Amino acid sequence: MVQLEGRPVPPTTATPESRRTERATRRRTRLQRLAVHGASLAALLLGWWLVTRTGLVRPLYLPPPADVWDAFVRANTDHPISPGSDRIVRGEQNYYLWEHLLASLQRIAIGVGGGVLLGIPLGLLMGTTWLGVVLEPYLNFLRSLPPLAYIGLLIVWFGIGDTSKIWLLFLAVFPPVAMATISGVRGVREDQLNAVRSLGASRRQALTSVVLPATLPEVLTGIRVATGFAWTTVVAAEIANGIPGIGGLAYLAGEQLRTPLVIASILVIGLAAIALDLGLKHLEKSLVPWRGKA
Amino acid sequence: MKTRLKQSAAALAVTTLTLALTGCVESGRSSATNETDAAQASDCPWEADDSITTTARIAWQAIPNADVVVKDLGLLEACMPNAEISWVQAASGGDVVKYYGSGDVDLGLMGSSPATIASSEPVVRDVDLAVVWIHDVIGEAESLVVRDPEVIDLAGLEGGRIGVPFSSTAHYSLLQALAEEGLDPATDVEVINLDPEKMPGAWQGDQIDAAWVWDPVQSQLLEDGGTRILSSADTAEAGRPTFDVGTADRTFVAENPEFMAQWAKAQDHAVGLIQDDPATAAESVAVVLGIDPADAEKQFAGLSYLRAQEQVDYLSRSFPKDLLTTAGFLLDQGGIEAVGTPEQYAEHVDAGPARSAVGG
Repeated sequence: MVQLEGRPVPPTTATPESRRTERATRRRTRLQRLAVHGASLAALLLGWWLVTRTGLVRPLYLPPPADVWDAFVRANTDHPISPGSDRIVRGEQNYYLWEHLLASLQRIAIGVGGGVLLGIPLGLLMGTTWLGVVLEPYLNFLRSLPPLAYIGLLIVWFGIGDTSKIWLLFLAVFPPVAMATISGVRGVREDQLNAVRSLGASRRQALTSVVLPATLPEVLTGIRVATGFAWTTVVAAEIANGIPGIGGLAYLAGEQLRTPLVIASILVIGLAAIALDLGLKHLEKSLVPWRGKA
Repeated sequence: MKTRLKQSAAALAVTTLTLALTGCVESGRSSATNETDAAQASDCPWEADDSITTTARIAWQAIPNADVVVKDLGLLEACMPNAEISWVQAASGGDVVKYYGSGDVDLGLMGSSPATIASSEPVVRDVDLAVVWIHDVIGEAESLVVRDPEVIDLAGLEGGRIGVPFSSTAHYSLLQALAEEGLDPATDVEVINLDPEKMPGAWQGDQIDAAWVWDPVQSQLLEDGGTRILSSADTAEAGRPTFDVGTADRTFVAENPEFMAQWAKAQDHAVGLIQDDPATAAESVAVVLGIDPADAEKQFAGLSYLRAQEQVDYLSRSFPKDLLTTAGFLLDQGGIEAVGTPEQYAEHVDAGPARSAVGG
C-alpha cells in the first residue's frame, strides 16, 4: 500500500452544532432513500405476483415468486427428490446453492487476483514507457473479444477443469485493469511531478509519492469494473463442466426448463455481484480517501 | 483516527473474504458418497475387485439410461474400491468429443451421430475412440411434435419451419424421415438449428411449426398443445436407428481390460434394474436429472435398453453398418469430410467389454 504523508484534513470551520444538524439531515436522506428502494422492490414483487397469479404468463416463462423461493430453499437444503420419497438429496447437483456460489467466487477471486497482479504492473509499464505503443493494439484486441467466442479454444488448451475457467476470467479481467492503470498513469498532473522534482525528488521518489497515489483511484475503479466483467463472464466459463458453480447451475437449469431455479440462480448472482461491488466501493473509499481532493 | 479504523475494517474484510475463499469446494461430488444418504452408497452386487487401481474419467450426460443409474448407485466405485473414478458432465455429444480431444476423459456417452463424427475424417485424426456399449436405442424419446392439430403427417408440414438441434441424433432422424417422405430439406421445408431449451419460446412465439426433440422439452411442447406425428422409433423401423452409445479411448481399453469388464458388468446390472425394477432405477435417474421419479419412469418407455448378450450381437454385427449409414448422412450435412471404409468403422466398435459381461 502506498500512503501519502499528508492526509486531507476535513474543514474545521464547522461548529459542533451545524455538524450535528448536517448528520441528522444525512441520516434522514438515507432513510428516505431506503424507503424508496423498499417501496420499489415491494411494487416489483407485487407486480410479479399479480402477473403470475392472474395467469397472464405461464409459469414456464415466469414462475410465481413463491416457486422461485421454493427452488431457492430446495437448493440450499437436503430434500427428498419428490414429496413422499425417502430418497434424500443434497441441494442441486449434489451441492448446496451457497456452495455453487462459493465455487464461482473462488474462480472469480483467482481470476481477478491474477488479472490485478499482472494488469497493474503491465499498465504502469505501458503508461510510462514505449511498451504502451507496442502493446496497446493487442490489449484492445483482447478486450473486445466476447468470452464465449474463445472458451472452446481455452478448453482445448487447458482442459475442462478449473484451469480453463480461471484463464477465461483472467483474460476478461486483466485488460480493463491494465487500461485503467494506463489511463491513471497518463492522467497524473505534470505540475505535481514538476513540483516534487524541483524539491529534489528522485525518479523513484516521484513514482512512489506522486504517480502511484494519483493512479490508485483509477486502478481501483478499474478493478471494480473488471470484477463486474468477471461476473458477466462466469456463466460462459461454467457452461462446460461448471458444477459446482452458480453460472453452471443457471445454465443447466435452463437446459432442463427449470425456470424457478434459473431465476433463483440469477437473483443470487445479481445479489452477490452487488454485495461484492459495495465491498469494493467501500474498500476504495477507505484506501484512497484523497480521491477527488487532490 | 477514523481513517485508520476504516482501514483496519477494510483489511479485516479482505482477510475474511480470502479465508472464506481458500476453503475449497471440491468438484465432482457424487450422490453416492453423500454422507446424508449413506444407505445409497451401495455394495457391489458381485465380488468387488480390489486389484484395479485405474484412474478413469467418465463423461456423462443427463439422459435417462443405465449410465446415470450406475453413477447414482456408485456401482463402479463400489466394485473397484481402489480405482479412482471421476464423473464429468457434458451437455452434448459434441462436448464429449471435445473433451476427448483435450485429453480430459477416458470414457463418455454420446449419440450415434457424434460417435460417427469421431470415427470419421477429420476428427478421427485427433481422437481414437471405440463404441463399446449401446446405452439405449432411441424410440419415442425423440419425436416430431407439430403445432397445428390439422397436420397429421410429414407431408402436411411442407412449407413449414422445423426446429431441431443440428448434428444431433434428432437431426439425423428428421432428415431421414424427410427423405423417406420425398421432401427436400433445402426447398420443401425449412429446417432450422435450435437448441431444445429455446424451443418453447419459439413455439409460443409462433416461430416454428414443428420440432424434433427429446425430453423435457418434448413433454413441454406436447403439453402446449402439440401432437406427436413421428418418432425415432419410426425411423429406426425404416432401417435408420439412432442410439446413445458408450465410447472409450482405445488405448485406455487396451490398457485396462479388467476395468472395462467391471464397467460393462455395472452397466449390464443397471440395465437389468431398469427392466426388472424400474421404480428403483427411476429413483436414481430422478436424483441425477433432478426430475420427478414418476417422470423418469415414464421416460424409460421412450428408449430401449439392451442386456450384455444383445449388446454383443448388435455391436459385432449391425452396428458398424449403422455408423457407415450415419456417416453418409453426415457427409451431406457437412459434419464430416469423408465417409470412411466399412473396416474403419468396424475398427471403432469394440464388443470386447460387453462380451466379458455376458453371463457375469
